[in-house]
Formats: sequence, C-alpha cells, structure tokens
Amino acid sequence: MGEERKRMRFLPAKLARNSVGALVILAIALGVLVILSLLLSKTPGKTLRYFFLGPLQNTYYFGNMVNTAIPLIFGGLGISLAMRAGSFNLGGEGQLYGGAFVATISALAFAPLGFLGGVLALFLGAMTGGVLAGISGVLRMKWNTSELISSFLLSNAVVLIVSYLIAGPFMDPETNLIATGKIPESLRFMRILEPSNLSAGLYFALIAVLLVYLYLQKTRSGYELRMFGMNPMFAKYGGISVHWYRVWPMFLSGAFYGLGGGMAIFGTYYACMKEFSVGMGWNGLAVALIAGFKPVAVIPAALFFAYIESGARNAMLHSDVTFEIASIVQAVVFFLVTSSVLQQIGKKRRVL
Amino acid sequence: MEHAVEMRGIVKIYPGTGLRANDGVDLLLQKNEILCLAGENGAGKTTLMKVLYGLERPDSGTISIMGTQTPIHSPLEANRLGIGMVHQHFMLVDEFTVAQNVVMGKEPRRHRFTYDLVTTEKQVAEVIDTHHFSIDPNKPVGKLTVGQKQQVEIVKMLYRNVDILILDEPTAVLTEQEIESLFVTLRALAAHGTSLILITHKLHEIKAISDRVAIMRQGKMVGDYSTASVDEREISRLMMGESVSLSIDKKPYNGEKRPVLRFDDVSVVRRNQERPLLNKVSFTAHSGEILGFAGVGGNGLGVLEAVLGGFLPITEGTITHNGEDISHDDSADLRRNGLAFVPADRLSVGSALSATVAENLIIASRKSYVNHGVMGKKRIEERTRTLLDTYSVKGRSHMPMGTLSGGNIQKVILAREMEQYRDHIVFSEPTWGLDIASSLFVYEKMLELRDNGAAVILISSNLDEILALSDRIIIFYRGTVVALLEAKELKQVTKEEMGAYMLGLKRQEGPNG
Repeated sequence: MGEERKRMRFLPAKLARNSVGALVILAIALGVLVILSLLLSKTPGKTLRYFFLGPLQNTYYFGNMVNTAIPLIFGGLGISLAMRAGSFNLGGEGQLYGGAFVATISALAFAPLGFLGGVLALFLGAMTGGVLAGISGVLRMKWNTSELISSFLLSNAVVLIVSYLIAGPFMDPETNLIATGKIPESLRFMRILEPSNLSAGLYFALIAVLLVYLYLQKTRSGYELRMFGMNPMFAKYGGISVHWYRVWPMFLSGAFYGLGGGMAIFGTYYACMKEFSVGMGWNGLAVALIAGFKPVAVIPAALFFAYIESGARNAMLHSDVTFEIASIVQAVVFFLVTSSVLQQIGKKRRVL
Repeated sequence: MEHAVEMRGIVKIYPGTGLRANDGVDLLLQKNEILCLAGENGAGKTTLMKVLYGLERPDSGTISIMGTQTPIHSPLEANRLGIGMVHQHFMLVDEFTVAQNVVMGKEPRRHRFTYDLVTTEKQVAEVIDTHHFSIDPNKPVGKLTVGQKQQVEIVKMLYRNVDILILDEPTAVLTEQEIESLFVTLRALAAHGTSLILITHKLHEIKAISDRVAIMRQGKMVGDYSTASVDEREISRLMMGESVSLSIDKKPYNGEKRPVLRFDDVSVVRRNQERPLLNKVSFTAHSGEILGFAGVGGNGLGVLEAVLGGFLPITEGTITHNGEDISHDDSADLRRNGLAFVPADRLSVGSALSATVAENLIIASRKSYVNHGVMGKKRIEERTRTLLDTYSVKGRSHMPMGTLSGGNIQKVILAREMEQYRDHIVFSEPTWGLDIASSLFVYEKMLELRDNGAAVILISSNLDEILALSDRIIIFYRGTVVALLEAKELKQVTKEEMGAYMLGLKRQEGPNG
C-alpha cells in the first residue's frame, strides 16, 4: 500500500517531466507566431489579442474550436495505435476522406433504416479507413513493404478517387457546391453548445479516448500490441503473432481515421464536400506526436491544434493577417515534434 | 614517479534511483602496467571507467592524468588526454573496411576537405604492423570474426595515440583461443609503453594477464593487490565478501528417462550460401539430463538456438517433441507446446527494455491472467512480487526493465522461463556477463529442474560451465555434430581435447547423435 501511495505522489512530477519536451515545442511555436504578427501585421497587438483570446471570448468561438478538435482526436488516436505497435500510418488524409465519403453515401442510402442506418453508415466509414490502412499492413506482413510509403501513396490515390466521385456520380445537383447530398436531419448529431457548431460528436471522441486507453492498458490484445511495438523480436519470442500485429494496428488506425471522418460529417458538415478534410489527416499525426502516442494526452494536443486554427481564423476576421499564419504555426509545431531531441528533454536517461 | 591515472574520492550517484554507484573510490594506474578492475555485477566498475572516459560526470572527486589534475567532460577530451576505451559491444560499421573504421571521426584529409583513402590505408597499416596485429586493413569489417573486430577496436584507439587503454570485459565474447591471442597483444602493448585497465570478473584471466588487481564491491574500492600476492580464492573472497565454493554438487538422476526433444537429420540451408548453417544434426534430449552444446562461435550453435526457439525454419529433417512432429512450428506454436527458452541475446530478444518488469515477466504466460480479454492487474502484480522475491531480483514490478542491471535482467528472464517450463527448457549462454553469485544461482536452478525430470538443453561458449553441468555434451563444428561425449567419457575428457573437437582438428568416428 505504501508503495502505491508513493507512486501516486510522484505522478505529477513524472507528468511534468514527460511533458517538458511538448511544452518547449509549444512555446517555440507561439514565439514564432508573435514574431510573424510583429512582422506581418500593421496592428500586431490587435492581431495577437484576437489570436490568443478570440477562441475563448464567447461560447460561439469556443464551441467551434472544440468542434474542430473532434476529428483530430480520432486521427490522433488512430496514429497512436499504429505507432504504439511500431507501424507508421501516413495515409490519414485518404482514410479520413474516404471514411467520411462512405459514411455519407451510406447514410443517404440507409436513410429509411433510421437510427440503425446511421450506426451502420459510421461503421462502414470506419471500415473503409480500416481496410485502406490494413492493405498497407498486409503488404508489410507479406513482402516487408514499408507501410509508411504504401499508406501515403495509397491515400493520395484515394483522395483523388473520392474527389472524382463527389464531383461526378455522387454530386448533389441541387446545390452549387461540389458535394454529395445532405444526410437526413434525424441522423445529425445534436448541437450541445448553441449557437456554436459543437456537436455531440465530442462525447464520442471522449469515449473513444477512454476505450483506446483501456484497450492498450487493460486488454491482452493491447498488451500484445504494445510489446510488439516496443520490441518485435521479444514479442515473437514470447509467442505473439507477428503477422497479426503488422495488420491489426494499421487496420485500427485507419478505422479511427475513417470514424473521425464520419463524425465530422454527422456532427458538422452533413454533406461530404470536395476536399473538406484537407489537412485533418496530417494534423492528426501532429497531434499524436505531441501527445507522445498516449491516448489521454491526445485530448489536450488536439485542443491546442484546434486553438491555433480558430485563433488564426479570428485574427483573420478582426485584423489584417491571413489564415496561412495558422498553417505556418502548425508547420512549426509539426517540424519540431518530429525532432526527437526535444521530445527527449526531461525524460529520464536510461541507466545501463 | 607520477601515475598514468590517479582517481581520488570519486562519487557518482545516479539521479532518480539515488544509487551510489561509486562511493569515494580511489584508483591508481601505474605506467606500463596491466591492471584488472574486478568486482561483481553492479560493483561500480563500469561506472568508474565511464567517469574516467568522460561518459559520466562524477558528483565529486578528482582525476589526474600523467600527474596533472584535469576534469574530463567527454570521450573526445579523454582521447586528447591519451585515454581510449574499448566497449563490450563493438561500435563498428560492417560495410566499411578496417582502415575506414579505424580512422572514423579522425580521417586524414587532403586539401582540407576530401577524405584521403590512400593515406588512411597507409597509416592504419603502419599501426597494425607496429603492434603485430593480424588483420587486413582493406577487409570489410563485416567479414571479420569477433576476435578480429575487437582488434579493430584496439587499433582504433592506438591510431588516436592513446597510451591509457580501458577494455570493458574484453573476453566476454571471445573463444579460448582468441582470448589467448588477445592477451599476447595486451602484453605487447604494455611492453610498448601503454598502460591498460581491464574490467573483468573472471578469476583465471585476472591471474593470467594482470600485474595488479583492484577489487570493487558495492560501489567501494576494497583494495588493490599485486596479482602475484593473491590467489584466485582470495580474489573471489574479496569480490564476494565471503568465501564461496566454485564446485558444483551434482546428484545422479534416478527418475524416469524418456526422450523429450528429438532432432533427426535437421538441416538449415540458406540461399546463396554454400555451406549449410546446420548439416544433418541429430540428437535426443532426455528427461532428467542436461545436454550441453559446445562449439566455437560461427559453427552453428547460434543457428541451433534460433531453430529451437522457432525463429528459423528448417529446410530438411524432422524435430519431434514427445513424439509429436514440430518441425515447422513457429515461436507461437512452440510456446503453446510449453517451450521455455532463455535466449543468448537477453536485451534484444529476451526482454522489452522500455516495458515494465511485470510486463516482461508475463509475456509467455499472459493468457493465464486474462478474463474475457481483460488482464487481471492484481494477479499479475502479486505473481510478479512473488517471482521477484523467489529469484531475489533487485527491482520492482513497475520499473522499466531497462533500468535494471544486466544481472537482474537475466534473473527476470530466468524467473519467467523457469516458471513457464513444462518438460524441456533451453538455456543459451545463461551466465554470460553474470557475476559468480548469480551464476551459481542459475546453476542451482538448472540442476533443480534436471532433478525434477526436465530435459535441459544448455548452449554455452563457457567450457567450464558445460563441463561442470552437462550429463552429455555435443560438440559442433561447421554446423555438424563432430562429437557426442557420454557421461562416462566426460569424466576423463580434458579442455584441450574438447578444444580439438571444437576447432575441427578431431572428430568422432561413426554415426553421430
């Protein structure tokens, strides 16, 4: 018991130590933002005020910000699952877009089934992402093809195909947008913070985080997945199926992306617009990197990314900068999180 | 006369654990002498040498090199002061030639920018000649034997004009013959004016090579002695702090003897490789015996280990376990059939260093803790605590495996595999790098398993170990069985004779196995 208590007491210290790297990265990124504003804006004070405080100033902006984080949470979870198993999934863009598309057209097709049709549509969306990523896992298992490259290439192709389908056979002629028809109102998620767009998808995202956490830490399969990710030789030696854990984590990873895409449609967009999800896949990757592939840490990381995005949108509306400022800050974060050096700061050095 | 190295009051505390790895240690190295730094695992030998080589910063204490006191912050600085270190694990690029490896980081330049390969070769050849090494500077390192690779590491240091050379357990990976030739080299170096420190815990090596021996125990320096003035028993007593007998007590086994694991003409052939890795190997491991496998590195013992563990598919022949054909089973199948297996490579095969001790302990038995797919944390925790206790592992269940010392990591692996055992167990190099107390513990456990009727397969490059423990011995040379020594023959066989078999100078007549 005493031992248990001691561990609990050390938990905050450990948490602080583990997040030092991430905090340094965020500080640098925000520093870049300040410098950019000073250089580019005629009214830097105003720009920065809207950037930092804008997303928090009222429920509308705040809700929209949190809403932006929902697909990022799903993407971040997906990437984390793959990375914990030692696989790279760089196909998030296509998996999310493909999942969203399939979820949309399934929802339209299954409209007569009501609630059940919605569930089925989301499931099919998730399966689409899962199968897309799973293909890369199978290729890796069979021929040792790099899943990093194959998932990326496959995703690029999928994006083009889905865009064609949206602009061609599945376009809704009644709107001026290049988009599919809108899913029935009965299937749309409830708004939970009027007047903002924040939907009940948030609850699903939080449940997903909890489920992934429980899966990784409590289940046998999660244990096997983690052991395989930490040392595949050790896993094989311990009698864990190497084939299965090349494919399964990739599948799960894609499925979460696909589900994230479906959630974005059901909660926010209602129709699958051409290229509506550009960047969400990559941002999901960045979120997972900041979170260090820990499911629970995905939530703050996704909120941070959403914060930057809505901050930039706010600054753009009320001041004289363009939305690209958000892209630059996100790019800086992306660049820095990949530098493992910063990630390692504060982490305990291994004692041999 | 000034000393080559003078370390005074070195204290090194590892943050986090608060462990005093070095607790006020003094060390003197005279010029041109060979000093053995001896001690059990975790006595602080390697830490002390890392401090000297600039890899660890001491919390207090001073270092003087050739009479001048100086702090050492990095290996580069150590090199500049004439200190070199050869690590236990080689740091070489297999694709590069010997010469290119030697100059790496200190390449001769032409016109300041271009890499001068001609001069490189000439300079390295000179170093090799001066010190009478027998390696070809133009050969890719990947094609060298382990002993030759070690020579490259030493040449690397000599090229940097090092006159104080530290070797961390240099004999751990070498065969008897290679050790002998290493010792010849080291003596020649000392005669040439180099001062050497060898980290080791093998008693007969201390006696064979050193002028003086410095003994550490639990982070403290016990003392240093002229090697001639102490015998092995005395050194062992100083290292352990108590007297321990090195002989092993083996009782005859009177239980049922039945074949458990059987190899019939098993071959492993790899494409593009002329010689089969394993060539028609046949043997039977019986219950209640320790079947020892001996051989020089590269002659098939590693392949045998991989086959036994299900890592390498066989091309011909059959393997049967209790009469059941398991020729084409992979690791997962074998585990299901009750394979217990202690791999030679305990760090990259036997454990996941970033996983916790508990997670490492349950890998093979994980299914027994599952209830509807969920792992029973409490039961794992309890089981881990019991096992750590039984096997006297210094560590806790939630600590990452990588924070344990080498000996304790091995104990965790042993605990896991011995508990997993059903009727046969494979040990590959089980005491490699372990101190005497831990080794004795392993031997005890191994004999206990045998007395309880286990078929124990012991693969080891340590001849003393093989001879002391085995009921029968099989010797490998070039992937085939060249000798099978039965119990009665073991009483008379000498190490020299075994050496002759291992080197292919001699082989038994008639069918093997």
